[in-house]
This record gives sequence, C-alpha cells and structure tokens, in this order.
Amino acid sequence: MSDPILKIKNLVKTYPNGVRALKGVSFDVKKGEFLVIIGLSGSGKSTLLRCINRLHDPTSGEVNMLDTKTGKYTDTTHIKSADSIRNLRRRIGMIFQHFNLIPRHTVLSNVLMGKLAYTSTFSSLLGFFSPTHKKQALEYLKLVGISEKAHIRADQLSGGQQQRVAIARALTQNPDILLADEPVASLDPATCHIVMDYLRKVNQELGITIICNLHFLSLVRQYATRVIALKDGELVYEGDPKNIDQEWFERIYGDGAKEVHIN
Amino acid sequence: MNMFIFKRSFLDGITMALLVSVVATLIFKPSDETMLNLPLISSVFGLGIILGGVISYLLNKQGIKTLGQNLFEPDYEKAKSEAKSWFKTFWGWHLFITILVLFVVGIFKTKFSFVELFDEDGFAGAQRLFAGIFSPNWDVLPTAVINIIETIFMAFMATFLAIPFAFLLSFVAAKNIMKGRIASIIYLIIRTILNVTRSVEALVWAIIFSVWVGIGPFAGMLALMIHSIASLTKQYSEMVETVNEGPIEGVQSCGANKLQTIWFAIVPQVVLPYISFTVYRWDINVRMATIIGLVGGGGIGTMLIKYQGQAMWPEVGTIIVVIAAVVWLMDQASAYIREALK
Repeated sequence: MSDPILKIKNLVKTYPNGVRALKGVSFDVKKGEFLVIIGLSGSGKSTLLRCINRLHDPTSGEVNMLDTKTGKYTDTTHIKSADSIRNLRRRIGMIFQHFNLIPRHTVLSNVLMGKLAYTSTFSSLLGFFSPTHKKQALEYLKLVGISEKAHIRADQLSGGQQQRVAIARALTQNPDILLADEPVASLDPATCHIVMDYLRKVNQELGITIICNLHFLSLVRQYATRVIALKDGELVYEGDPKNIDQEWFERIYGDGAKEVHIN
Repeated sequence: MNMFIFKRSFLDGITMALLVSVVATLIFKPSDETMLNLPLISSVFGLGIILGGVISYLLNKQGIKTLGQNLFEPDYEKAKSEAKSWFKTFWGWHLFITILVLFVVGIFKTKFSFVELFDEDGFAGAQRLFAGIFSPNWDVLPTAVINIIETIFMAFMATFLAIPFAFLLSFVAAKNIMKGRIASIIYLIIRTILNVTRSVEALVWAIIFSVWVGIGPFAGMLALMIHSIASLTKQYSEMVETVNEGPIEGVQSCGANKLQTIWFAIVPQVVLPYISFTVYRWDINVRMATIIGLVGGGGIGTMLIKYQGQAMWPEVGTIIVVIAAVVWLMDQASAYIREALK
C-alpha cells in the first residue's frame, strides 16, 4: 500500500462566533480511494472539506498533503501567502451542492475557470486562455458527456448538467484530489446516480482521489470504497461502508433515525 | 464589545432625551434666549440620552424589551422571541409614544396651519400664478429647448464620467471584499469620505464649483459628477455586498486570486444592476441638473430662475412644460430599460 495522500491530525475549527465545527479530527486519506464522509447537517462535514483546500482556515491541527512528485508531505495549515494557497488549490478540485458556476458565462468559460491558477491575472481578465487549455477544457466536457453544450450559458442547464460542468471545471485543474460537498443533495434521484457515476469514473479512470460528503447511506454503500462518520465535529466511525448496520446508523444519526433509500 | 448594545442604548437614549426635552419645555417654558443657550440645551439632551441608556439597560436586564433591543438585537435573539400584539409589549408602546411625540412637536415646528392654507389673499395670489403658468408664452420655447438640451448633457456627462470612478471604488467600499486588517481600514476611510461627500447636497457642490470654475453648465456638471460618484459607489457596493457567495467559492476553489475572483465571480453578478442603477442615475441627474441651474449651474434651471425672479409666469409656464416633458420621457425610458435589464 502506498503512502496516504492526506494525513489529517487533530484538526480543529472554531468559527469567530464560537461554534466549534471540528473538535480534533484525525484520519488518513489513501491515494486513489473514494472516501465518503457522512453525518448530520452541522456535524462539520462541509467545514472539514473547506479546511482541506483552505476556503476556511483551520484553528489548529495538521493537514499533511503528499506531493506526488517528490513524495514529501507539507502541512498545508501553515501556508500563509496567497500564492502558496493558490498552488495548493490548484491541486485540489472542488464541487459544491449548489454547483457554484458563474450563471451568465458559457459552459466552456466556466470550465476554463479551472485554469485560472495556471493563467496570468492579466490574460485571464482579458479572457485569453491558451489553446491547449481550451482543448483540455473541451476534453473534460466530453468526459462528462456535455461537450455539445460548451457554448450555452451555464444557467440554461439543468441541475445535473450544471454539476457535470462543475466536475469538468474541477478536472481542468488537473487535481490530485477532488472534494465534493453534497454533490447530489439538490438533484433528483435519477440525476443523482448520473452525477455519482461520473464521480466514480473520474476516480477509477483518472485515478483522482475523491473525498465526498453524502447524506444517503444507499449511495454510500454503492459508491464509497471507505467511509468516515462525523458527529458534532468528532470522528465516530471509520471503515467499510458495508459494515454500517442499524446500530452504527443510530449512533451516527441519533436514536430512532430511519434510513431513507434512494434507488 | 457588542455593537448592538451601543446602538440599542443610543436609540433608547435618543427617544428618552426627546421625551425629557419635551417635558422640560412644557414645565419650564424657556424663553427664546434660553433656547439659544446651546450648552444648556445640549446638556439637557445629553443627560436625557444617558438616562435613557441607563433605563434601557435596566429594563433589558429585567427581560423587558425596549425598542432599541427589539430593533438591533442579533438574529439568534430575535429567533427566541414569541409573537405578541404590539400593544402588549413595552417596545410597541415605546415606538407608539415616540411617533406620537414626534408628530405633535412636528405640528408646532412646521407652524402647520389650515388658516393660512385657505387664506383668501394667498389663494388669490396662487390663482394668478397658476393662470400665468397655464397660459404659457410659447415665444420662449426655442430658448427653453436649447437650455434643456444643455441640462440633459450636463446630466449625461456627470453620469458618464462618474462610472469608472464608481466602478473601481465600489469594490473597495464593499465589506465582503475588504477583509483583513489593512483592507478594512481602507474600507472605513473610503466609506467615510463617500458618506461625507454624499451628505453634501449636489446643490452645495454646485455653489462651490460655480465659484471655482465660474457659473455655468461646467460647474453644474462637476457638482453632479461628484454627487453621482458617491451615490453610485454606494449603490454599486451594496450590490457587491449582496452577491451570491457560491460562485466566489467556486472560482476560489480553482485557485483564483483576488482580482480574478472579483472579475469572474462578482462582476457578472453585478453588471446588470450596475447598468440599471446608472440609467436611473442619469434620470435623477436630469432632474437634479434643473435644480442646480437655480444656483448658477447652467441649463434650464438658470433660465427658470431668471423668469421666476421677474414674476413672468407665462414664460415660467413654458419652461415647466419643457422640464416636465423631458423628465417624464427620461423617467419612462429609464423604467423601460431597467425593466428589460432584469
């Protein structure tokens, strides 16, 4: 087994208003796995993902990320300069519950956002992206099956299509890790599986490590290679998704919780 | 320190000071000379504010909500309160009495009088004026048209030249962009300058510039421009502050830097409201340009004040018709454009 791509130690996040979203979470993320994080709303799942790519600054603890080229780890929580944070984010793609595309821009220009960190500020503001970058963007659009929509405005697409554009945008960054924050929570059940299937494809064909927050256990069992559960900012379960039985389920989601199935 | 407690004490203090001042006036019936004694008056009012702040503190400590508490308390406190009819609450009566006192004092202060409104002599004067205005002298129409064109261009240039300044300043004056220590200091400075600029009426700017560059449309245009920069920046930056955070997170997660984030995640969200505000500003500026002309800002206003000074009502009538027509047209046009931009 190769070295883990992320080694998270004692991660704590306390918001300025005093809310303790993470109370010392430690776990490793293996290279190439499809790790799913489950837990109630407010259990700290979103905060955890945002602490990894520094959309939020962790209060304390370590997030050690493996440099796949040199094989060395760097603790990303100590990165301060805007440039280094930019370089970190370049290696970590992210997709969101509400897709977070730029509504008035075309699908292609949204996907090209993935190259922002590779393009000088001046040329990006003028809209100059290199032909190679454009070619890559189109290739990833093809990968998620919507290359024919490249020149349509992003807000004209359905939710599922927008999420696929978001995946293409993240892939255009050529990331090592893809974070997915409730990627299917605002989609209908049928579309849900299409998006999850694309995530699996990205994971298996491109070998990108995926860390994904999910609500539905049936999806977790179907897609996850490993699962961790958060409760009130603490890690309460780590292991094989198939081993989550009724007892564990109630421990994670509270007594009397019933599982809802999504087919 | 909780900002809301300060706001609460201040509001409750002012409403209390208002009551104290009114009661003191009724009891002591001060002479005009006493009223001009600013140190005395302001210390009475100041004591009222302090008294009100203390009472407000004590009441709120008892769990009795004052108006200030009800208005400024943080959302999580608001969520706890139960719905009650206003007349069963302290803050309801607090508000009611404040408005009542304001209204009564207002009647005295504005010397509100039905007698004068329906006074016969005054009424006859108004009749003469209206008779003149309603029989316009169309001989001055060509001059009026030339002058209103000048006014429209004053407004256009003021708006047009204000756009680039307001566009750049709007991001510096937006709280959600200016995070961090140095940034928030710059934000505060810019905001203060803008607020001061905006609180000086365009009319006053026109007086300043008519001395600086001489009476005429250029002075009026500069006055409107300064005022437009301040107003547009405020409106623009409010749009920036209410943008959807989603796209911002989206491009930031791609590694966008500050400028790229603004350009790709914020500008597309605000560009339509910006255009809409700008069109509306032009519309407002045409109206303001008329007023500014009254103090020497050029255009139709200067012409209006000339004829009004000589009580030449038929000529004034023509000018009013021209102004009304243009203002109405601008208003309609800007409404249609803004509707289409939604």
